[in-house]
Amino acid sequence: MSKDPNQEIPKWKQDFPIEQKEATHVSRREFAKFLTLLSGALAVGNTAIVVKSLAFPEKPLIGEHPICLESQVAEGESFQFEIEGSKTIPYLLINLGEGEWRAFEQKCTHLSCAVKYRHDIGQIECPCHKGYFNARTGDVIQGPPPRPLPQLEVVIREGQVFVKAQTV
Amino acid sequence: MSDFRQSQNEAHPNKTNTLMTGIILLLILFVTIQIWFLFGALNNALQENLNFAITTAVGSLVFAFASFWLLRYLPDPIKKRKKK
Repeated sequence: MSKDPNQEIPKWKQDFPIEQKEATHVSRREFAKFLTLLSGALAVGNTAIVVKSLAFPEKPLIGEHPICLESQVAEGESFQFEIEGSKTIPYLLINLGEGEWRAFEQKCTHLSCAVKYRHDIGQIECPCHKGYFNARTGDVIQGPPPRPLPQLEVVIREGQVFVKAQTV
Repeated sequence: MSDFRQSQNEAHPNKTNTLMTGIILLLILFVTIQIWFLFGALNNALQENLNFAITTAVGSLVFAFASFWLLRYLPDPIKKRKKK
């Protein structure tokens, strides 16, 4: 029985072949191994989501935060503000008129574009992909956003506007 | 001298091919389902739905182990079989 000539080639030499054709060739074995590696990476990614949510839960907003004076935001206007926390989140304060105020997170739940309030249609619009939210509840009316906008509770006291976490 | 393996291979020359195709198709199926799980988990984690994230993570790990286990059945490289 003759010896297999391929067996004599050392492993390091197999990795650095002389001919370009051999270097660019991906065998089905290698492809299968790559798919397995990808499968392992996806499993690690999925586990990382669980670990992150268990180990670093998002802290709820505590207390009331002063935003601006009531007189600074006219009826039908909106005011952008940020709250510092574990993350700095931009919010949108909206004066709907007749003493109704709302505060929503300004990031669209689709791809985090900045949303804006449109008083002419009474809705919050995401200009990127034409998503529309209800300006009173934050629910999705139309478009690609999968979830309603997170909302804060607005408190008016002595002409000053405060926000706090929504009590369900 | 021919042995059992050699005569088997000569009788069924497409066996390696079929095995390889089957394993690769299974791996593609596993990876596709895992991508689906990951997408769902990302979306649901944003909604604070932890149970979904845990379920998909377990499912994804099972698929990953299945993928590694499938590698056991990868046929040997054809080059090594050429004994002339």
